[in-house]
Amino acid sequence: MVTKVMQIILSPILALVVGVFFLGLARKITARIHWRYGPPVIQPVIDMIRLFYQKSVSHGFMFDLGIILSLAGSIVVVLFLPFGQICPLSSSGGLLVILYTMLIAPLGLALSGGQAANPNISIGISRKLILSLGYEVPLLFVLLTVMTHYKTISIVQVVNAQQSTGWSLISCPLCLSGLSYFLILPAILGVRPFDVSSAPQEISSGPMVEYGGKYLALATIEHAFALFIGIALFVNLFLGGAANIVSFFVKMLVVFVLGLFINAVFPRFRIEQAVKYLWKWPTLLAFLGLIITLAIRN
Amino acid sequence: MSLELLLIIAFGGALLIYLLGKISHKARDSFAVFISLVLVVMVAYFYGKTIEKTFYFGFFGLPLVLRLNMLSWFFAIAISSLGALCTIFSLSYMKGREGPDFYYLMMLLVNAAMLGIVLAGDLVSFYIFWEIMSWSTFLLISYNRGPALAAGMKYIIMSIVGSLAMLIGILSLYTTYGTLSISAISAAIAPASSGYILFILIVFSIAFGIKNAIMPLHTWLPDSYAEAPSPFTAVLSGMLTRMGIYGFLLIMYVIVGAVSALNLGTGILKFNYILVWLGAITIVIPTFIAMLQNDAKQLLAWHGIGQGGYMILGIAFGTSLGVVGGIFHTLNHAIYIVLLFMSVGAVQYRTGGERDLNSLGGLIKKMPIAFIGGLLGISGLIGMPLTNGFVSKWLIYKTLIVEGYPFLAFAALIGTWGTILSVYKFLHNMFLGQLPEKYKDIQKSPFSMQLPMIVLSLAILLFGILPGIPLKVINAIVTSFGFESLNVSLWGIASETGTLNTINIFSALLIAAIFVWLLFRSTAKSIPIAQDDNYAAGAYIPKDKYHYTVEFYNPLYRMIKPFLRDLIDEFYYRIASYIQTLSDSIRCVYTGDVGYYVMYVILFLAFLIFVQLKWKPW
Repeated sequence: MVTKVMQIILSPILALVVGVFFLGLARKITARIHWRYGPPVIQPVIDMIRLFYQKSVSHGFMFDLGIILSLAGSIVVVLFLPFGQICPLSSSGGLLVILYTMLIAPLGLALSGGQAANPNISIGISRKLILSLGYEVPLLFVLLTVMTHYKTISIVQVVNAQQSTGWSLISCPLCLSGLSYFLILPAILGVRPFDVSSAPQEISSGPMVEYGGKYLALATIEHAFALFIGIALFVNLFLGGAANIVSFFVKMLVVFVLGLFINAVFPRFRIEQAVKYLWKWPTLLAFLGLIITLAIRN
Repeated sequence: MSLELLLIIAFGGALLIYLLGKISHKARDSFAVFISLVLVVMVAYFYGKTIEKTFYFGFFGLPLVLRLNMLSWFFAIAISSLGALCTIFSLSYMKGREGPDFYYLMMLLVNAAMLGIVLAGDLVSFYIFWEIMSWSTFLLISYNRGPALAAGMKYIIMSIVGSLAMLIGILSLYTTYGTLSISAISAAIAPASSGYILFILIVFSIAFGIKNAIMPLHTWLPDSYAEAPSPFTAVLSGMLTRMGIYGFLLIMYVIVGAVSALNLGTGILKFNYILVWLGAITIVIPTFIAMLQNDAKQLLAWHGIGQGGYMILGIAFGTSLGVVGGIFHTLNHAIYIVLLFMSVGAVQYRTGGERDLNSLGGLIKKMPIAFIGGLLGISGLIGMPLTNGFVSKWLIYKTLIVEGYPFLAFAALIGTWGTILSVYKFLHNMFLGQLPEKYKDIQKSPFSMQLPMIVLSLAILLFGILPGIPLKVINAIVTSFGFESLNVSLWGIASETGTLNTINIFSALLIAAIFVWLLFRSTAKSIPIAQDDNYAAGAYIPKDKYHYTVEFYNPLYRMIKPFLRDLIDEFYYRIASYIQTLSDSIRCVYTGDVGYYVMYVILFLAFLIFVQLKWKPW
């Protein structure tokens, strides 16, 4: 019981540390690819502490509630994800619960921004929702393939099955799904070349434009959690989870840096181009993976 | 207390209200609420009882049978409680409109007829109650005149087609078995040939499929929902349309029986398999059509069709998880869609009937209860965790995945994402964004509208956090169909391939939200500002001139619009226009002028004489 409570308290903190570290690392690595020096890795932490002490404006009840709900939703998702051997709420729901709880964060941000009545926010939210419909098609095929292959909807069982049979990524039909997930990962995380919804130069950061002070700090924390969740899900589903926390984080780091190298050199998509891309190659790969898995199962 | 008393009060109360309305409006209103609450209490009293009663004064010498079991009790309690809430909601909505006496008469008549349908123990009384329901619905849909008349006409024509199909089935059953009592038929039908059972299932499926608006029989629904008065649209979408689900349960699992209904046909050409695919199509296409709507009620109406697909999918899939999910989703859908239509109704009431999403906005500060109702309603519709819609959808997804039907599961899941896009637009365009100048002094909704919305909002959360309350009843229904019982506790479902524990999710979210809220409160305070005081990167935003969310999903529209025409509706209209042309050409012959008819008679006689003279056949 005590270890359980400890895990529940510790896992969001660990996730936050890792997520914020990734944010800082991303800025540093991108800067180096661009031949710049870049800010120190702890820059996001400095920014956040500063933001919590700064003034901010509020547009009303939903503006506040939306951002609170969105961050709380992300924390709950972290509790359902196994990392290492830690998984505090694994017995309360599986992949379907994760999939649906992941909705709370973007919807909370959208409702929060919605009350601000700013044209940039409207454009940003519209793009964000369309993009999510775009990556959800291949993502659902990928998750259904995994669940059909292992005949379970529990993520812990998926991880445990990989301990004995090896990583999903190197097994036959699931490698297609793994590749597809890797291709849509930047869209899930909302980073380049899929940062259409927060495009700073076009629509002044979209849904974030009215945020200042603590709102911006909370939104950054939420983004750090989202980064963690997207990559941790990949590690759990396709890289076999991990026996301990350290190797889990090493796997996450490798996936993240690998993705960053590819994405940092691409310019931003337009929203139509993004959806077309997402519905073409990743969807095709994921669909093929599902058909082969189904054929093997029957 | 007995079952016939319940029906007598239901029907008698409806007629009495009409007469009372001629005397005093106040008395009529309070009596309508009183009668509908009495019905709730009476139905609640029958919990867990099994009754079958025969009266020998029936129609054409056929006995009238009333029967009550867990299935009919479940539907009856939903009908009566939602009916009572909608009647309370009507009180202010109908104030100052013409013909309220007639409205209340029809509203309570529809309720009474629905109670009659679920309590009927023989197919004749089932059919009579079904027709009373259809016709009073027709009168209520066309209550507002104008475009509502056309919508009502479309409804009643499709409804009659369904009723005729059902009548063929009933007559065929009567000639084969010599009885129309449901329990007698279900006992006798087992040895029938599979061809005959298929015939019975198909004719009844046409009737129930039209009522439940399964594609391709859905076309009556969007216009009817949009044109009916909002409190009645709530009844129509909540329970009346779902009488089709009751019908499917009755014909598939009570009359024919699970064993024969689920093994009809071979391979992929099974009866229930085809129904499952129709359900999947019904989820996907209407959900995406809903994204293109700009009319709040049309948008919800298309979701009404789409959500019906989940119920059919679960029920026809025929595993115990699936059937439980399908029945539970029927209840959940009723709760949140009634709430959403009430929310729209409250906005309409205050804005003078406005339901165009592109001219509303910013009402959150003016109508907070309607906003909260709308927020919880869309959360249920999406199926967010901790709302009731999540649990029933979870049951359906789970059985589809574990049994190895990922493509059906994909159809069901992608429906959710289509839903998010359209309902965000729905909520945002009504309650968030800019408040137009003309709605600056709008009042909040009256108490008789707030009360039902609060009750339903609480019900959404209650059934989402403690789904065991209704699942216990549904489990009993499903066990009576012969499926295996589920391992249901108050807060979730346990099984080997993945469990659900809603109370843990709830506590986690609550604690996380409290923690974030404390962090939010303890740091620097924010300054509240006016809605037009915002940052536009140096550009000037004129006041009250633009609506930022018109054509909200335009980039997506351009990609998917060509695929989303309602071809089926166009097909029906084409048939209708062919029939019209045919009738017009017949009209050239049947002119209605006696002179022509005399001429026809003479020509015919001349023809006969000619034939006789030439060939001498007689």
